[in-house]
Amino acid sequence: MSALVPGVILALAMVVFVLYPIVSGREAQMEWDEEELTEAQHRRNVALLALRDVEYDFHAGKLDAADYGRLKQEISAEALRAIDEEEAEWLARHAEPGDPEREEGEPPPTARAALEAEIAALRDSIRAGVICPQCGSPNPKGSRYCGDCGAALPVPGSPAARAVRRSAGSG
Amino acid sequence: MIPALGEFALWIALPISIWGCVLAFLGGRWNRGDLVLSAERSTYAITILFVIASIGIITAFMRDQFQYWYVYNYSSTNLHPFFKFAGLWAGQRGSLLFWGLNLSLFSSLAVWMNRSRNRDLMPYMNGVLLAFIGFFISISLFVTPPFEQLGFTPADGRGLNPQLQNYWMTIHPPTMYVGFTSFNVPFAFAISALMVGRLDARWIQATRKWILTSWFFLTLAIIFGMRWAYEELGWGGFWFWDPVENASLLPWLVATAFLHSVMIQESRGMLKVWNMGLVLLTFLMTIFATFLTRSGLIESVHSFAQNLTIAWIFLGCMGITGAVCLVLIVWRYPVLVSERQFESALSRESAFLLNNLVLLGAAFAVIWGTMFPLLTEGLTGSKVAVGPPFFNQVNIPIGLILLALMGIGPVIAWRKASARNLKKNFLLPVAVFVSTAAVLFSAGVRHPYALLTFSIGAFVLTIIVVEFWKGTRARARIERENAFTAFVHLVRRNRRRWGGYIVHVGVVVMFMGFAGSAFNREVRQSMVPGDSVAVDSPFGHEYVLTYQGLSTTLVPSMRQAIALFSVEKDGVPAGSITTQRQLNLAVSPPQPISEVGIRSTFVEDLYLILATVDDEVLLGSNEPEFQRATFQFQINPLVPWIWYGGLVIAAGALIGLWPGAGVPTRTSRLGSGSQRRDTSTPAPTPRSDAAATLG
Repeated sequence: MSALVPGVILALAMVVFVLYPIVSGREAQMEWDEEELTEAQHRRNVALLALRDVEYDFHAGKLDAADYGRLKQEISAEALRAIDEEEAEWLARHAEPGDPEREEGEPPPTARAALEAEIAALRDSIRAGVICPQCGSPNPKGSRYCGDCGAALPVPGSPAARAVRRSAGSG
Repeated sequence: MIPALGEFALWIALPISIWGCVLAFLGGRWNRGDLVLSAERSTYAITILFVIASIGIITAFMRDQFQYWYVYNYSSTNLHPFFKFAGLWAGQRGSLLFWGLNLSLFSSLAVWMNRSRNRDLMPYMNGVLLAFIGFFISISLFVTPPFEQLGFTPADGRGLNPQLQNYWMTIHPPTMYVGFTSFNVPFAFAISALMVGRLDARWIQATRKWILTSWFFLTLAIIFGMRWAYEELGWGGFWFWDPVENASLLPWLVATAFLHSVMIQESRGMLKVWNMGLVLLTFLMTIFATFLTRSGLIESVHSFAQNLTIAWIFLGCMGITGAVCLVLIVWRYPVLVSERQFESALSRESAFLLNNLVLLGAAFAVIWGTMFPLLTEGLTGSKVAVGPPFFNQVNIPIGLILLALMGIGPVIAWRKASARNLKKNFLLPVAVFVSTAAVLFSAGVRHPYALLTFSIGAFVLTIIVVEFWKGTRARARIERENAFTAFVHLVRRNRRRWGGYIVHVGVVVMFMGFAGSAFNREVRQSMVPGDSVAVDSPFGHEYVLTYQGLSTTLVPSMRQAIALFSVEKDGVPAGSITTQRQLNLAVSPPQPISEVGIRSTFVEDLYLILATVDDEVLLGSNEPEFQRATFQFQINPLVPWIWYGGLVIAAGALIGLWPGAGVPTRTSRLGSGSQRRDTSTPAPTPRSDAAATLG
């Protein structure tokens, strides 16, 4: 009997706690959080980490140069596809309404210019980050071995790398 | 008052769970944030109510309130407070309440952690969790009520089974429950992903750490259970293929398969149906384990009373859950089918798939062996016992294949491995395998499984050491770091991979511990004080044990006969060892219990069991003519390695679980959801994120 009063108080407290959102109109977040990964972002991360794995497997002697080059090209293409898709989503999400000059989903001019500059820089760094001194193929920035012939690439910033870059630029 | 309030809390929790469950699904369906929030608050409220209910039953134990059936049957006034507290999970009624408490705690944690993430999944996920919480509340209220009263107050309780009065009792069951109940969260995520149709790898990313956490606790619980059996049951071993042991192994085997195959989905986008199936199957196995443990239908050391109501309830739960899972998978099958194919049979993907098939094969063999006596009884009316010989015959070869795959998998590259590279990478490990086998054979080891276990173990350890060495060397060269820094950074950068390798080292050490049992030495002898016995160790030394005599003590509800031996190792005094035989007088007929004596070194255990003793001794006589007793002396080689291996496995799993491992998330790079971006810094774009991921 002595538990009845605290029991009733407990029950009332719980009912108020549970029903409060419905009575007050307070809502849980229902939308996708902008800071969460989208599917394209997730696929991009997976592809980039797969690139890291392929690099590791090649270093560890588990992959032949030919397989390494082929896999690297395939995964880079996957990464670029995901990045392109992600950009399209990003641009669509950041479109500001009310600009009559701009088509729907198109980013504002300043944002677009900044983004395009960054895209160009990143694309350059992925597609022609390091030129192989052996076969002349472009390799993504940060590569230690050539994706085409498997030759060791010069460390970025070293005199050898600058020489290769100069010769590629003049050619 | 507090126990009464606890019971009241359970009654309040039931309608709230029904309310929350219905609102969660409706809120998700109608996209109503207020309904979803109310459902999430229901989960929090139920957790508070479960805590109050648990405090209620613990208070009843602590205050010796024997008017409660559960307290009367599992406690007594002289029981140590430590075990009174553990009374919460000592019997069926408390265990199911404790199960609900764990489930509600994990549900609340999952809801809270995802309050601004995975919001499209959360209503359904919370609804699934609340449905199971409601199921356990209903069982606690209507089938196994922990607060049921006797109608009178006995002066004392019947006491706790002395075999449960062991410190492992306070650790092993809660660890197992944590492992089982935490698996509800990934299951609920999987079901909600199927319901919503968002079946890319993101739901897996949200659940990966939950699954690893469940696996970690299940692993610990299984090892604790082995240690408990080894110390307390007096059978001379650590694993007996007891139905309840098997029950705990089943979800572990399937979850282990999932932890490997999920990597294929994450890195290749393949095996979506398979992985979904494994998550659902692991959860079904946790219900199956609960059914086996709680129904008492199959005889077990855990010896719970047979409860057909519970058996039917859990079978029904398993059947309905399985049917819902099947329907959802069939409904979403077109979305789950992978567009990609395996590129080569010589790839890590293929090795992982083989590992999965072998693990599921082991799970099937364990289910078959466990259920066979029940099936034959149902079909023919006579019970056929399936004992350790069957399980060992099937599972030892399976274990050896898994052990070998632990070495083979890491050496093969993803997607495609060339024969030339395989040859290059396997040359040293195979050489180590052959030389280990040759050395052991020439040293006289003839037991085929032991020979294979040690040789394959050496093969796997070589591969893992070489992996660490190559990784460290590559990192040191590329990043111009010293070896130690390179090693630390290597593990930190990919904690799951390197933590996984450390787990594999632990498994190898543990398997070597299992293989040591092939060299057990056993002597059984009847002795009087002054007699000595010599036992040879397979490691070449000799123990001489001299029986010093028996002493008896009478503690409440229990008589203990304690035998004392002096020990000499190769003629040098090496201390003493005791072993006990106890008679539990609290139950009728009185139950004899062994308390083994263990003297442990790095490579072996000297293990001593007081097998039989004159009844007069247990009745309190200290007369010399009753001092004759029969003892079993065992040398258990390498058994300590099982526990060392367990520690290494736990360390590896913790490395994998440590925050920050794995694929970076957008949130982890930008700060938590509540910590919004500083507007003065430029917004990150997809490509700068990409650079950060690669970096």
